[in-house]
Amino acid sequence: MNGKWTHWLADAAAPARAQIGGKAWSLAQMAALGLNVPPAFVVTTAACTAWFEGGRAWPEGLEQELADGIALLERATGRSFGGSERALLVSVRSGAAISMPGMMDTVLNLGINDEAERALASESGSAGFAADTHRRFCELYGRIVLKATPMEHANAETLRAAVLAEVGEAIPRQPVEQLKRAVMAVFDSSRSRRALTYRKHQGLPADLPTAVTIQAMVFGNLDGDSGTGVMFSRNPLSGERLPYGEYLPHAQGEDVVSGTRTPEPLDSLRRQFPQLHAQLLAGAETLERAERDMQDIEFTVERGRLYFLQSRSAKRSPEAAIRTAVDFADEGLITRAQALSRVKAEQIDAVLRPRLVETQARDALVLARGEPASPGIAAGLVVDDCDHCERLELSGQPAVLCRATTSPEDVHGMIASAAVITEQGGSTSHAAVVGRQLGKPCVVGCGDGTLALLRGRMVTVDGDRGLIYDGLLATEIPSETDHPWLARLAAWTEGRPLRAALAAAQP
Amino acid sequence: MSFDALHLLALRRKADLASLVQAGGIDGAVLEAALAPAIADGRVIQARGLYVLAPAGAAWLQSQYPQVFAATRADSVLAAEYQRFELINRELKTLITQWQTLEVGGKPVLNDHSNADHDARILDRLAALHERAEAQIACMAARLPRLGRYALRLSEALDRAEAGELDWVSSIRCDSYHTVWFEMHEDLLRLLDKRREE
Repeated sequence: MNGKWTHWLADAAAPARAQIGGKAWSLAQMAALGLNVPPAFVVTTAACTAWFEGGRAWPEGLEQELADGIALLERATGRSFGGSERALLVSVRSGAAISMPGMMDTVLNLGINDEAERALASESGSAGFAADTHRRFCELYGRIVLKATPMEHANAETLRAAVLAEVGEAIPRQPVEQLKRAVMAVFDSSRSRRALTYRKHQGLPADLPTAVTIQAMVFGNLDGDSGTGVMFSRNPLSGERLPYGEYLPHAQGEDVVSGTRTPEPLDSLRRQFPQLHAQLLAGAETLERAERDMQDIEFTVERGRLYFLQSRSAKRSPEAAIRTAVDFADEGLITRAQALSRVKAEQIDAVLRPRLVETQARDALVLARGEPASPGIAAGLVVDDCDHCERLELSGQPAVLCRATTSPEDVHGMIASAAVITEQGGSTSHAAVVGRQLGKPCVVGCGDGTLALLRGRMVTVDGDRGLIYDGLLATEIPSETDHPWLARLAAWTEGRPLRAALAAAQP
Repeated sequence: MSFDALHLLALRRKADLASLVQAGGIDGAVLEAALAPAIADGRVIQARGLYVLAPAGAAWLQSQYPQVFAATRADSVLAAEYQRFELINRELKTLITQWQTLEVGGKPVLNDHSNADHDARILDRLAALHERAEAQIACMAARLPRLGRYALRLSEALDRAEAGELDWVSSIRCDSYHTVWFEMHEDLLRLLDKRREE
């Protein structure tokens, strides 16, 4: 279709990154590797430049090209935009050549309105899902495009009213209007104050334009032959070369994120669709070899067809970072020097952190348990007063601070403590945030009465497992030479100490 | 004036003059003069260049709050704006947690900042949240002007984080985004007589 302002992404010759932005470019790369990605087209950076050159006026011909792009998406998916049957919904995302802060977040499910909601309800057999999709669209659109901060609303209709009342602009009901307004918002976000500030800091041109990717949504919750999942090309916790991931049949990505349903291991996909499972593994392998790094892949199955949504460099545990660096070098995908550059000193510290002597911990009395919020092992006398904590520290005695909750005025006590315990709160609580920042073991949400039980006792806090043991337990420190992958990495430093070699190898 | 100075100190409990000046946007000499009577009667302790709020000072503040903040606590517009702020607060807490912790294969792992992609994504979301927070703080500052200073301090922290000084997101050793945010939150809790809900 390639027009003046738009590019169809499945075309063999992917345009330059500067023209279509990083996100569209990586979609095009996936397509070029032969992976099935949901159909998409991109409004190029040239259109964004023209938008500003024309004084924020719609570039001539862009409206028609948007319509053409949508028509192509309709043909490729057999769906219709704003249709009352098999409705086409799209995602709209920003993407400059260089990713930077201040750009617009992705709007999902664009194209939904009352008719499309009914169509989605009959197609998925779930009026609740369709209504929720509509509500979530309004929430995202209101927040991202119209910059409203709507309170929580139970349905799309009250949300629409709240957004209108707050910002004086309505969420359009016409899909084409939704799309045009979203594209404009993406253009404008390239000159948001934050984007401009960031570019100034980085010495980038102030007028750097963005592209806009418009992609068909695929649904993992249409029927039992649909589903959604994530997979890692290796185990991101251990680094072992085994596919690792989860699959949730008859579900959308949001179901996984919100934790309302528990996903199944990837094996359940293999049992249901051996062929798709094989395709997925082959795709992961292809992506891993192309990127020369462990990949984290989002995928959806829609009515028995596999779609790759996104692939990126996988987040990993320190253990996995070390192991994959060594394995990738062994497999010839990277050099040994590159392997060293991929490991950080902090990851080695984490792997060699003191841990409880297992045989002792097994027999120890657990006094309390909560949510592990910051890892590590520490022991001391339980106190509930920050000043007391400081006095103990000054006299060289380790203290464990235990509070119902913590507030900014407790920070000095946390600094003086060996570990922190709270009765209330979860992993985002103040105590958890500060505990992690201080690198101190922290267990939160142990329940009311914990303080009364623990005060004045000697305890050992296990921040990895969220356990408070009675008394002082023995710890051991693992050694570099005992660790199979660290030992191998250490042999590649040409005689230098491992940490010095890593520091020298950092990019 | 003495009340303002003590309230400012209470939000950090222990601080040197320079950081109080920075936090409150109040002249150093004025602050010193305001703290002097409190030091004289034991509500504040001055030691090794630090001011520390003494238990007597904390009790005195609690006794003053209902009266000094009476108008603020009765302001229904501010109360509604605060509810909106609490929504952003919940997002901020999640975001800071995601900055510190990666979810790897469903398990939390400390962020060692080796995944630049992840950091950029979180910073981006922090910047987006900041725009909404700024607007929200402006709404609250329309009722109580001194709150406006928090927006400035948050902007400073974000600027430094975006310029690559990653400590300015959540370090407790500087006026990082998280430090300023929680100071503001504590301030609001005291102002409006709310309890911290974790």
